[in-house]
Amino acid sequence: MTSETGPSLGGRAARQAGEWVPALVVFVLVIAAWQGAITAFSIKQFLLPAPGDIVRSCWTDRHSLWPAGWYTFKEALGGFAIGSALGVLGATVIGRFRSLGSALMPVFIAANAVPIIAFAPIANVWFNPLSPHSKMAIAAVLCFLPVLVNTLRGLQSASPRQIELMRSYAASEIEIWRRVRVPTALPFLFTALKVASVLSMIGAVVGEYFGGSFNALGVLIRSDAQILNFERAWAGILVASVLGVALYAAVVLAERLVVRWSPERRVS
Amino acid sequence: MVLAALVGLWELYRWVWTSAGWTWPFRVDDTSMPHVWRIAKAFAEPAQVNQPALITVLLHKTLFTAKEAAAGFGLGAVVGFALGVVLVHSRLLQRGFLPYIVGSQTIPILAIAPMVVVWVNPKLPGSLQGWGAVAVIAAYLTFFPVAINTLRGLQSADPRALELMRTYAASRWTVLWKLRVPSSLPYVFSALRLAATASVVGAIIGELPSGIQSGLGGAILNFNQYYSLEPQELWATNVVAAALGIVFFVIVVAAEKIVVRRAPENVA
Repeated sequence: MTSETGPSLGGRAARQAGEWVPALVVFVLVIAAWQGAITAFSIKQFLLPAPGDIVRSCWTDRHSLWPAGWYTFKEALGGFAIGSALGVLGATVIGRFRSLGSALMPVFIAANAVPIIAFAPIANVWFNPLSPHSKMAIAAVLCFLPVLVNTLRGLQSASPRQIELMRSYAASEIEIWRRVRVPTALPFLFTALKVASVLSMIGAVVGEYFGGSFNALGVLIRSDAQILNFERAWAGILVASVLGVALYAAVVLAERLVVRWSPERRVS
Repeated sequence: MVLAALVGLWELYRWVWTSAGWTWPFRVDDTSMPHVWRIAKAFAEPAQVNQPALITVLLHKTLFTAKEAAAGFGLGAVVGFALGVVLVHSRLLQRGFLPYIVGSQTIPILAIAPMVVVWVNPKLPGSLQGWGAVAVIAAYLTFFPVAINTLRGLQSADPRALELMRTYAASRWTVLWKLRVPSSLPYVFSALRLAATASVVGAIIGELPSGIQSGLGGAILNFNQYYSLEPQELWATNVVAAALGIVFFVIVVAAEKIVVRRAPENVA
């Protein structure tokens, strides 16, 4: 560990900062061009509000926007947790029985090709549209399949030689599981979790479009867009994106902490 | 066979839950889970008086949505591939833009759909009016997996082959077409499979806020309002939407079989 920290912490921080400079430059340029274009060509506010106005709206409407965002975020988080847990559980069971896996895989792949969002109104009918559970359900279904398929692929991608080596040392199945299969599956799992983190937020917001309680972000964005209050609609989108990125970043952080080996095998 | 199993499971679940009177996780009755034969029968019956049978109405809507999704898929795939090709040649651009390409996916697409329709529609020629904007939304969902996987695929070229090309003083174009593109194909196609589904999702979601009535999204929104009276019509629409997603997926898989003759190495 100590040798890995490199020459000095300061030098490393500077290098990491260097990685982010181009991204920052692009960010500043885009915002400046956006604001500049609006002042230069006097674009109407309902087409594209200025970034300054959107940020200001984020602040002035903070009492309605952020609680709504938090409400939706909790739905997304619940769906993410339930869906991912079920996905991992399913993959663990199916991975144990190889024939079951090969029989069910085509079904999962076909199910993955189904536009699940179309079922959001039905989830609303099943679980009372005003309760957060209906959104959790749709977010969970969205998260479930990618997590299941990727974890299963990860569990099956352990090298046969490693497993034979373990067997020749008379390691138990559980031991093989813990020391070989799970470590190889982890990068695959985190790839899926990253996808799922984004999907869960989208699932929650889209689910709210078909009806939800009035303090939810999706409902808020929709009603603002209808009354042409586009500044607040965009502010709502900004809040949704920030929360989505936060969940994504949390997964990336967890991945950094858990998967410390073989960065080149990581499937981004 | 899978279909029969699904129908059997559906009816079994219905029967067990209604006869046992379980209400968890939701109440099972004719509204929440209509009988399969009622859904099947709904196809043959007209949804409204003086209209053709639901199946013909839905087929027209499906063709419309398929047109949007296909246009979006094509546009997104081309843009995504081009982005991947540009980014692979410049570390600087990669650092500058990659975070935003990833970030763009956390924006809940449904939220920006109305704005996209307002921006894009006036700029389109007459024949594209209406559905062109939806195709743009479908393209937005399509380009991301294609761009990311193209980049990874182009980078996956064997370094030894790259060196060999360089010793023969091959130009960038030659390296790109003779080496990088062929080695990226398995990655690109695994992205296209994802994108096929995503484009259908995008087309359906895009129709929701844009008030387009001639597609599947409009039908879902419409039947959602009558769900408590005629649940089987929404279910029938969703079955069609699912079938459309699977058809798109199968087409891409078939194209992949033709283009990529060698086995793709474990690509996520």
